[in-house]
Amino acid sequence: MNRDSAMPANLLRRKKDTKRGITYTMLLCGRDGVGKTTFANNLLESNIFSHKYNVVNQITAENESKVKVISPTKVVSYNSKNGIPTFMSELDPSRAQFEPGITITSTSVEIGDLADETANEDDIILFNLVNTYGIGENLDDSLCFDELTTYLEQQFDLVLAEETRIKRNPRFEDTRVHIILYFIEPTGHGLRELDVELMKRLSRYSNVLPIISKADSFGKEELAQFKKTIMKDVELYNVPIYKFEVDPEDDDLETIEENQTLASLQPFSIICSDVKDKNGSYVRSYPWGDINITTDNISDLKVLKNVLFGSHLQEFKDTTQNLLYENYRAEKLSTVTSPHIGASGKDNTANRASAAPSLSNFASLVNTGQFKSSQTLAMNLEGARTPELKEPYDNDQASPIKKMSQALKEENEEIIKNIKMESPLINDHNIPEKTKLRNISETVPYVLRHERIIARQQKLEELEAQSAKELQKRIQDLEKKAHNLKLREKLLRQQKDHSSSSSSLTTASSGTQLKKEDTLTDLASIASGRN
Amino acid sequence: MSTAAVAVPTNSVGISNLPNQRYKIVNEKGDHFTIMVCGESGLGKTTFINTLFQTTLKHQEPRRNNGPIKKTIDIDITRAVLEEKNFKLRVNVIDTPGFGDNVNNNKSWQRIIDFIDDQHDSYMRQEQQPFRKIKFDLRVHAVLYFIKPTGHGLKPLDIETMKKISTRANLIPVIAKTDTLTQQELSTFKLRIRQVIETQEIRIFTPPIDESILSNGSATEDNSAAIEHARQLIESMPFAIVGSEERFTNDKGVQVIARKYPWGLVEIENDSHCDFRKLRSLLLRTNLLDLILSTEEVHYEAYRALRLGNSNEENKDSSIPINTPARKLLSSNPHFKEEENALKKYFTEQVKAEEQRFRQWEQNIVNERVRLNNDLEDIQSKVKKLEEQVKNLQLKKR
Repeated sequence: MNRDSAMPANLLRRKKDTKRGITYTMLLCGRDGVGKTTFANNLLESNIFSHKYNVVNQITAENESKVKVISPTKVVSYNSKNGIPTFMSELDPSRAQFEPGITITSTSVEIGDLADETANEDDIILFNLVNTYGIGENLDDSLCFDELTTYLEQQFDLVLAEETRIKRNPRFEDTRVHIILYFIEPTGHGLRELDVELMKRLSRYSNVLPIISKADSFGKEELAQFKKTIMKDVELYNVPIYKFEVDPEDDDLETIEENQTLASLQPFSIICSDVKDKNGSYVRSYPWGDINITTDNISDLKVLKNVLFGSHLQEFKDTTQNLLYENYRAEKLSTVTSPHIGASGKDNTANRASAAPSLSNFASLVNTGQFKSSQTLAMNLEGARTPELKEPYDNDQASPIKKMSQALKEENEEIIKNIKMESPLINDHNIPEKTKLRNISETVPYVLRHERIIARQQKLEELEAQSAKELQKRIQDLEKKAHNLKLREKLLRQQKDHSSSSSSLTTASSGTQLKKEDTLTDLASIASGRN
Repeated sequence: MSTAAVAVPTNSVGISNLPNQRYKIVNEKGDHFTIMVCGESGLGKTTFINTLFQTTLKHQEPRRNNGPIKKTIDIDITRAVLEEKNFKLRVNVIDTPGFGDNVNNNKSWQRIIDFIDDQHDSYMRQEQQPFRKIKFDLRVHAVLYFIKPTGHGLKPLDIETMKKISTRANLIPVIAKTDTLTQQELSTFKLRIRQVIETQEIRIFTPPIDESILSNGSATEDNSAAIEHARQLIESMPFAIVGSEERFTNDKGVQVIARKYPWGLVEIENDSHCDFRKLRSLLLRTNLLDLILSTEEVHYEAYRALRLGNSNEENKDSSIPINTPARKLLSSNPHFKEEENALKKYFTEQVKAEEQRFRQWEQNIVNERVRLNNDLEDIQSKVKKLEEQVKNLQLKKR
C-alpha cells in the first residue's frame, strides 16, 4: 500500500496511459509534392500511404509486429472552390486545369515503440496521422487556411464538449493534434508568404515544427546556409514555432545538452525514399551515387523520429493540453457562457432569463433541426465525409456525393437524437434553479455542437452550390467544344472538297494553317474579352 | 573585279558564293536573342541562365532583409553582349521574380502576358513609322517555363500560364532541379507532364522536322543526322535540368561544371545525369534561328494580323498608315480593375459622407432659423405687450 502511494505522480500517469495506450496525433502540412506521403511511410517503416495519382490497394504493413492499421485513411474534411472532390483520383489530363481544393485525411495505426527498442513490449501508441492534400496547388490558397484552422478548432471543441458534459463517453477519442510538421520546400530562398501565414495560424492550436524536406537538393554548405536563412525568417516574421528550450533550473544536464543539440539542428532536414536496397534499408539511388536516408550527417530523419516518438512525445502532448488547449478553452468558455456568468452573480431570475437565449436557441435547433437537415440534405448534398477511402470513385460524379450526403445525414440525425435523449430539460420550460457550474456543463456541449452543426451545414450548402455551378459550367464548356469541333469538321470537309480537285498541296499545308488559326482564335477571344 | 574573281572558281558565274556573302554580313552585324525565364522562386532560374551562357550574367538576388514579403510580380531585364569567335550575340534575359510566390496566385500570369504583348505592340508601332531604321526589339524569342520537381504533375497555375504563353511565344517547359528525382520518378513525372500538355492543347516549341526530305528520299547524311537529333530533342521534352556555376574535378580527372554532394557529383554536361546539353542545343547550337524566325513569322504575325484586322473593321475608310487604337491595357488588367472598383467605392462613400454632413448642416441651419424666428416672435409679442402697456398707461394718464 505504502509503496503504491509513494509512486511519483508522473509514473502513475504513465502507467495509466500505457494501459489504455497513448494517443498521439500528428498533422503533416506543406505544399503538395514536398514529400509528406513518403515521409509518413518512412516514419512508420511501411507503405501504408499511396501517392498522388498512384492509387494502390496495398495496406500491407511490412513490419507487422510494429505497425497495425486500425482504421484506414479516411477523408475528415474537404473544401474546394468548385465543390468537386479530387482526392485519390487517377490522373486525368483533361481535368488537370481545375483547382483541386484541399483535403484533410486521417489514418489511425497502432504501433509499438519505434524509437525505443528497450521499452516494454506492451507500450503501444495509438497513432493518428492527419495528412493534407492540395496546399499550394490552387490558384488561390487562402481557402486552405480556414479549412485547416477549422479542423483543428473542431478537435478542441470536441474535447471541450466532452469535458463539460454530465454523462461522459468512456470511449471518447481525443483527436487533438499534438504536433504539426510543417514541410518547407527546398528553394534556397527562405520562407514564402504562404509558409509564414500558415505556420502563424496553425501555431495557435498545436506545436509547429518546421522541417526541410528533400534535403538532397542541397550541398553541405547550401544546406547550412538555408537552415540559417529559415531561422532568420522565423525570427523576422515572428513565427511561433516549437523551440527546444532549456530551463537551466529544472532540467538535468543531459536534457539540457540534448535540447541544445536539437535546437542547433533545427529546422531538421530530411531525405525520404520509397525504395529499399538489397540490405533492406531505404535509399535514393541516382546515377551519380546512392543515399542511405538514415545516414546521420546527411539527413536528420533518425533524430526527428527520436524526437517525435521518443524524447519529446510527452512534451508535445503536454504543451497542447496545458497551454494551447487551456487558452482556447478559456477563450471559448468566456464567449459562450459570458452572459450567464455575468448574470448569475446578481440574482437567480436574471440567470434564468439570460440562460434562455442560448438554450432556446438550442431548443429551436432541436425542433427545427430535423426538419432543416432533411430538407437541405435531400438535395444531393456533397459532404465532408466520404464513407470509405478505398472505394473507387465512379466517373459519374454524383454517386460519391450522394453517398457522402447519406452518411452525413444519418450522422446529423443521430446527433440530434442524442441531444434530445440526453437533455430532457431542454423542452421543459420550468427549468429549476441551477448553479453556475451546472449551467455551463449543460449548455456548453450543446452550444458547441449547435455551432458545429450549423457551420457544417453552411459549408455543405456552399459546397453543393459550388459543385452544381461547376458542373453546369463544365457541361457548357463541353457543349461549346463540341459545337466548335463540329464547325471545324465542316470547314475541313469544305476545304477538302475544294482542294480535292486541285492538288494535294493544300492538304499538306492545312496542318500549319490550322495551327495559326488556333493562335488567332485564342488571341481574338482575349481581345474581345478586353473590349 | 579581280578580288571577286579570286573567290569564284573560274568555270562558274559566282552565284554559289551568295551564301558566303550572307555569312559575312551576318557575322559583322551580329544578332540578338531574347529569352524569358518564368517560374516560382527557388527553382534555379538565375543559376540556369548563368550555366547556359557560362558566365555570371545575372547575380543572385540579394536577400530581402527586413521588410514585408513582396506581393507583386516584377519584370527584370538583363542585357549582355556575348562574343564567341568574333561573333557578337546580344542577349536579353527577362526574369519574372515573384511569380507564383503568393497565397493568391490568380491572374499572376497577367504581368508576363502583358509584357510579351507589349513587345509585339511596340515593334509593330515602330514598323509603322515613316523612318524605321532603328528598332528597339525586345520580342521574346523563347520562354523557359520552370516546373517544380514534385513528382506529381502540373498545377493548375502551371497549366493556365503555359496555355497563355504558348499562344504568344515559343514555350519550352523544363523540369527544374531534377537532382531530387530518381530516374524512375523522373520518367513517370515526364510522362504525366507530356500527357497533360497534350490533352490541354498547350503548344510547346518543337524543332521543325522536315518530313518532305525523308519522304522524297533525298535525305543526305547531314540531313538525316539533323533529323535524328531533332527527334531526340522532342523525345526528351520536357527537359530535366540541373544548374550549377561551380566546377569540380570528376573521377576521370576532368574539370566539369557540376554540383557536389556527399553522395556524388552531378555533372551538368553529362547526358545520363540531366538534359542540359539537349536544352542548350535547342536554345543555342542548332535551333536558335528557328526560335527567332518562328517568333517573327508565327507569333508576331498572328499578333499583327489580329491587331490590324481589328482596327480595319473599326475604321474601314482610314488610309494606309493605320492608327491602331492603343491597347486597352488599363481596363484589361484585373488588378487595375479591382483597384478601380475600390476607388469607386471609396469615392461614393466619401460623397455619401459629405452629403450626410451637408444635410446635417442644413438641418442645423433650419433649426437655428426656427429658433431665431421663435425668438423674434417672442420679442415682437413682448414689444406688442409693452406697447399696449404704454398705450394703457397713456390712456390712464389722460
